[in-house]
Amino acid sequence: MTPRDSNVRANWRIRLATGDGLSLPVVLLLFVGFLLVPLLPGRFWIIVATEILILGLFAMSFNLLHGYMGQISFGHAAFFGIGAYATGLLMRYFKGTGAGDLGYFEFFFSLLAGPPVAALGALVVGFFCVRLTGIYFAILTLAFGELLYYIVFSWYSFTKGDDGVQGLLPPALFQNAINFYYFTLLVVALAVCLMWRIVNSPFGYILRTIRDNQRRTAFLGINVRAHMLANFVIAGAFAGVAGALWGPFQRSIAPGLLGWEQSGIAVFMALIGGAKLFIGPMLGSVVYTFLHAWVTIYTVYWPLTIGLIILAIVIFAPGGLLGLVKERLGARSKRPTSPEQSAATPETGGAQ
Amino acid sequence: MPDLNVILLQLFAGLSRGMVLFLLSAGLSLIFGVMNVLNFAHATFWLFAGYVTVTIYSYLAEMFEPGFVLLVPAVIGATALMVVLGLVVERFLIRRMYNRELPEQLLLTFALVLIIGDGIKLIWGVQNRRIFLPVTPVEAFGVFINPYYFFIIGAGLTVAIGLWAFLHLTKYGKIVRAAVFSRDMVSALGIPIPMIYAGVFAAGIGIAAFAAGIFSPLLPMALGTDIAIIIQCFAVVVIGGFGSILGTFVASLLVGIVYSFSILIWPDGALAIIFLIVIAVLIWRPWGLFGTELRT
Repeated sequence: MTPRDSNVRANWRIRLATGDGLSLPVVLLLFVGFLLVPLLPGRFWIIVATEILILGLFAMSFNLLHGYMGQISFGHAAFFGIGAYATGLLMRYFKGTGAGDLGYFEFFFSLLAGPPVAALGALVVGFFCVRLTGIYFAILTLAFGELLYYIVFSWYSFTKGDDGVQGLLPPALFQNAINFYYFTLLVVALAVCLMWRIVNSPFGYILRTIRDNQRRTAFLGINVRAHMLANFVIAGAFAGVAGALWGPFQRSIAPGLLGWEQSGIAVFMALIGGAKLFIGPMLGSVVYTFLHAWVTIYTVYWPLTIGLIILAIVIFAPGGLLGLVKERLGARSKRPTSPEQSAATPETGGAQ
Repeated sequence: MPDLNVILLQLFAGLSRGMVLFLLSAGLSLIFGVMNVLNFAHATFWLFAGYVTVTIYSYLAEMFEPGFVLLVPAVIGATALMVVLGLVVERFLIRRMYNRELPEQLLLTFALVLIIGDGIKLIWGVQNRRIFLPVTPVEAFGVFINPYYFFIIGAGLTVAIGLWAFLHLTKYGKIVRAAVFSRDMVSALGIPIPMIYAGVFAAGIGIAAFAAGIFSPLLPMALGTDIAIIIQCFAVVVIGGFGSILGTFVASLLVGIVYSFSILIWPDGALAIIFLIVIAVLIWRPWGLFGTELRT
């Protein structure tokens, strides 16, 4: 091996171990993996994979607030739920009492209605939330989320309360699990591409500076609140995309979609996969959703299982699974990133 | 308009609920103030202690005549056990989290919610547990009221005054209050901060266990109650202001009474009204009604 070869290999490792270098290869691997899922025998895995994609997108939308803006929201499911209800109620409205399937135009119109309605909700809630940070931001988002949950829960004449909305059958083509799966994969892939553009735009870098130091960002003449609000709305809209897909996927929606437990799922996924990396939450969804589907076959003690997993991750791998991989790669490459260097690169938080 | 009887009964139910909320929130607020850790699992420890109390009580009730007297050893036993558990959890889990970011601390304590919650299900099953005390209602203000309400309100007030006296009049209380303001300064004076942390955490859990014990004859211990309670405790500390005992006390009574009355009007939305108050307070005075602005 010539010295140049080893240099190239070290460079390759360093590139993976710094910043968001790991995300692109993981995205490609995941995408190929998702394409091949229908080759597995049985419908079960297709259903699980669809769920992974939808919840993964939801978790990634949460991570726009957490990983890129440094705030933790315990009410993000409100926008997932609003998107689900906007789509679900419209589908119900178009279907009416008539027999037969929903038309394709009506179906796509209902789906498209989810994200903007969720974004509108996020605009109203975010207007108040971005005034606060840290623990206060977390509790205010929790309070708004629970308030919206109770509104959906109690407004029986409009939302059917805790009965939920059933029979959300998509048009014939998408009733097949494989077709709906590929449709979901397409929508989620497009959303992830858009998100990648957003977080790597100047806007995305301003979010990172806000995360690292709000006051200094303000001193640069940047309107911190306006950027935080814009990000809150964007995150709400992406949660709305995931929510819109949920109704036709599950064929029903319920108020629980807005509750804090649902918000907690996004937090868990981001943590398990790695909140400091772009694709971390999607990887977290792969692990979480798969484990959930698999463990609940054998035991009712799912909370205990996931609780122990979270405990282990918080203590032993605070950067999540991808953070752990990144740390290992960084340790093995000849030039370990010094603390000064990682502090200088805005997106390098690494495992802390 | 509901008649006076209903209003008075709800008032007493609300006051005793407020007392339990205060006993929990005071620990929560103190732990957050001193250690900067928001303990999501605080109410789950409370629920666990409630199950332990019921178990000790029913064990004793088989040997002796059931009654109020047996509640005393049950509450003391459960509280002692929980203090030990609190020390163990602080030593092996919470202590690792002091220098971590807020989300990680929240997730660790939330993992404890899931683990302890499912642990309760493993040990005690899904059935609700409660202590049945033979009580005769007494007449007060023209209505018949379970005298146990008076006991709870009295016990809550005693602990509230005791806690205030401890924090303001004793040397150790002053150290704890100083630690809320500046850990570094207290540490520089040669006071062993890790011991203060362990003590505050265990004391917070102990007060919660005491609250669970005295409340167990009124409210059945049921899975999931911990979540409803911890969310109300968050509401209390936000409304009252982190680190203020007086604020916590006033906010606890407010939340307890509002909850108790809104159950009459809008049963599903009792919590929703509390969230409305929280939102209003966070928007108008993020540091709470009695907190100081500096601490935000």
